[in-house]
Amino acid sequence: MNTVVAGITYRALLGRRRIVLLLLLPLALIGLAVLLRIVGSADQRTAVLLMEKFAIGTMLPLLGLIAGTGVIAPEIDDGTVIHLLSKPISRPAITRTKFLVAASLLALFAAVPTYVAAWLLVGNEDGLAPGFALGALVGGIAYAAVFLLLGVVTRHAVTIGIIYALVWESVVGGFVPGAQKFSIQYWAQTVADQISDSPFLTTQVTFGFAAPALVVVTVGAVLWAGHRLRGFSLTGDE
Amino acid sequence: MSEIYDIGYRHYDGPRLGGGHATRALAVHSLRAIFGLGRTARSKIMPFALATIMLVPAVVSIAAMALIQQRAMTYSGYAVIMQAIVAIFLASQAPTVVAPDLRFRVLPLYLSRPITVTSYVAAKVAAMTAALFLLLAVPLVLMYAGELLIDLDGPPQTKEFLGALSMSLVLAVLLATFGLALASLTPRRGLGVASVIAVYLLSTASVPIIYSALEMSGYHSAASWAWLMNPFWLVDAVQVWLFDTPSHAEGAYPGGPLPAVIVVALIGVAVAVLAARYRKAASR
Repeated sequence: MNTVVAGITYRALLGRRRIVLLLLLPLALIGLAVLLRIVGSADQRTAVLLMEKFAIGTMLPLLGLIAGTGVIAPEIDDGTVIHLLSKPISRPAITRTKFLVAASLLALFAAVPTYVAAWLLVGNEDGLAPGFALGALVGGIAYAAVFLLLGVVTRHAVTIGIIYALVWESVVGGFVPGAQKFSIQYWAQTVADQISDSPFLTTQVTFGFAAPALVVVTVGAVLWAGHRLRGFSLTGDE
Repeated sequence: MSEIYDIGYRHYDGPRLGGGHATRALAVHSLRAIFGLGRTARSKIMPFALATIMLVPAVVSIAAMALIQQRAMTYSGYAVIMQAIVAIFLASQAPTVVAPDLRFRVLPLYLSRPITVTSYVAAKVAAMTAALFLLLAVPLVLMYAGELLIDLDGPPQTKEFLGALSMSLVLAVLLATFGLALASLTPRRGLGVASVIAVYLLSTASVPIIYSALEMSGYHSAASWAWLMNPFWLVDAVQVWLFDTPSHAEGAYPGGPLPAVIVVALIGVAVAVLAARYRKAASR
């Protein structure tokens, strides 16, 4: 953990147009929750639908993608990362710092709005709001780690991340039950199900699998990203 | 007194092809760049993989027509069913058309040639439109050719095919202008990809939720308007109005010419954003 690196990363993420995207998605979620309340369908079934399909299914991977790749990929892209790498800071420490920055942003922009949106719809019934907030938090942390690793490994991190989130998790996960076992958003839903006892929330992945998987993926991705950055070679643009 | 000396280099005295030719060359160059032609093998992977996935339902449909005499896929629903792939293609390739020129500030170099800002933007939009139209139309043409060769019972669905083909062009123009307008707002490719896909996902993921909430609460006419927030369903609504095809959403669309008006208005807004963006970029 290095506070200077963290400060630079925060400034790069929050000072540019990226913040518009980071704000747009949670605002859309809260806007939808308000709309659902106004038209009078604020029940648990709608709340679970909104949380599963929109908060965990769409907003979380997108925010994870923007924050996770945003902390390192632009620097690699325009070559300024060389200034950071040439300083006497251990590179695993750089990735750990950048991961913490991305994770903290996801807690702020994903987990908090998820809680607010669920609370707007059903209050604190059956622990739905805290459940999904915790699910969004741990899922967001895992996404941040995975997309940070992608940002270090490839220049096409955003596109590959979108294909993982859209094609693998949404389409393949929707039709092939086996694929759900290897999908961060289903793990996040399992965590939500642990806290909440709403009858509308059903999950296919057991908690005994999801919790270790989340830990292994998060820690593994951060460690591997640090390892990749140690042997990093800066190549020219295509 | 200074003087420019003629140091004996040979002058160009061939034909001067003019601005139109330069614009056409830029459009062709951009179209090749979208598919990664003339670039590294790595940048060809993504567009060609997505184009291949687009062909899969057409091939499956031809196989189904040949083996069990049934249509597995309709012409009119192709774009709606494959919308995720088209959206990923747009998001991943639109920034490659506009981002590098903005990022390396080479626009003044283009404008020092017989190319105006208008023709530059027109060339980029034309290239993206052509790429999207190819992506959407090639599977349709393949499927139609398969249908003609297999000779199913009953007449071939020529009207539906031609309708779907023309709607592909409308969809391509809408997506290209909108995608390029979004992507041109940032010189960074990664952020461009993320913003295009974020806008698409916002419209796609929220539509069924809004629709079902309004439908359950009894606002039936308002619910049908929800589909128009997504470009693919919007163009499908135009197709329903023009060609009497069945709706490919879970509910009905609002009838009448209004979806078509919205399409035209959206294209106009996107073109205006592009014009404003490039007027500013050209003056730097």
